[in-house]
Amino acid sequence: MPQKTGMYASIMLVAAVLGLMLTMQFRVTNSATNGISIDRAQELNAELKHINEEKESLSKEISDLTFKLNQINQGQAEAKNALQSELNKVRMNAGLVTVSGPGIELVLDKPDTDTENSQIPPELMIIRDEDLLSAVNELWGAGAEAISINGERIIATTEIRLAGSFININLNRVIPPYQILAIGNPDILMDSLELPGGLKEYWRDLGIKVTVEKHDDLTLPAYGK
Amino acid sequence: MRIGILLAVVGLGIGTLIGLYIPVVIPQNYAKYMSIAALAALDSVFGGIRAAFEDKFDQDIFVTGFFSNALLAAGLTYIGDRLGIDLYLAAVVAFGVRLFQNLAIIRRHILKN
Repeated sequence: MPQKTGMYASIMLVAAVLGLMLTMQFRVTNSATNGISIDRAQELNAELKHINEEKESLSKEISDLTFKLNQINQGQAEAKNALQSELNKVRMNAGLVTVSGPGIELVLDKPDTDTENSQIPPELMIIRDEDLLSAVNELWGAGAEAISINGERIIATTEIRLAGSFININLNRVIPPYQILAIGNPDILMDSLELPGGLKEYWRDLGIKVTVEKHDDLTLPAYGK
Repeated sequence: MRIGILLAVVGLGIGTLIGLYIPVVIPQNYAKYMSIAALAALDSVFGGIRAAFEDKFDQDIFVTGFFSNALLAAGLTYIGDRLGIDLYLAAVVAFGVRLFQNLAIIRRHILKN
């Protein structure tokens, strides 16, 4: 009998455990139907992880590319500025822009006609193209940065030549008085003209009226203006 | 015998009630192991019934077999999951086959009687 009771107890225990297990399993299975399966969830999790990683890498790429783009833009702007300043410098050197600064004003004028009774023959009193050329030459030599004659800017291709009885500069006729403006150190420019045996003296001897003045602020027109 | 069956039914009822009203729900991840354990347990129970019909019923074997089978099946399934092998299939097949065999033998005994 004790053995019997033990047997019955064990049967009951086992049956109870079995019922419990089956019921719990049943409940889980039924509750699982309204959700998603584990496999699907894991799959989605893996996918999410993967996509997140992808997103991370893409974000990195975006920032990297943005950085590069900014750098390029910066470089572009710098290059543009450098080119622009270079261009401005070159244009200034070429005489294509209006410039202003300290310098001298040299005016050569024909002598008055009442000097007919002077010893100087009149043909010598005419200011020739060579005079203007040598004036320009002298001024360049004295360190002038820009020169103009009667509003004609002297540049690399400027010609100063006799055409008939007139002088042409930049293909434009110029007539006396010749006003030569030169930007540079006024003292040096002045000294170069007033050297003993220099140009000024030479012109004086020819009877040409010469005046030289220093100016603190001269403005020279651009070529072709 | 009759008392045994009655007790078994009562025990089943008690277990079912407990299972229905217990507030704990097994998490999804473990449901798989639970199902295999339940299958193994079912097999053990039918094996026990068959043994009872053959008058070979041994209480110790029955109880230990019940629990150890359930635990082993669940454990194997778990290990299989960890190793990436669908070991639970083996458990399902093995216990399923045994279950049907036991049922068939029980049916014959009932028919003979």
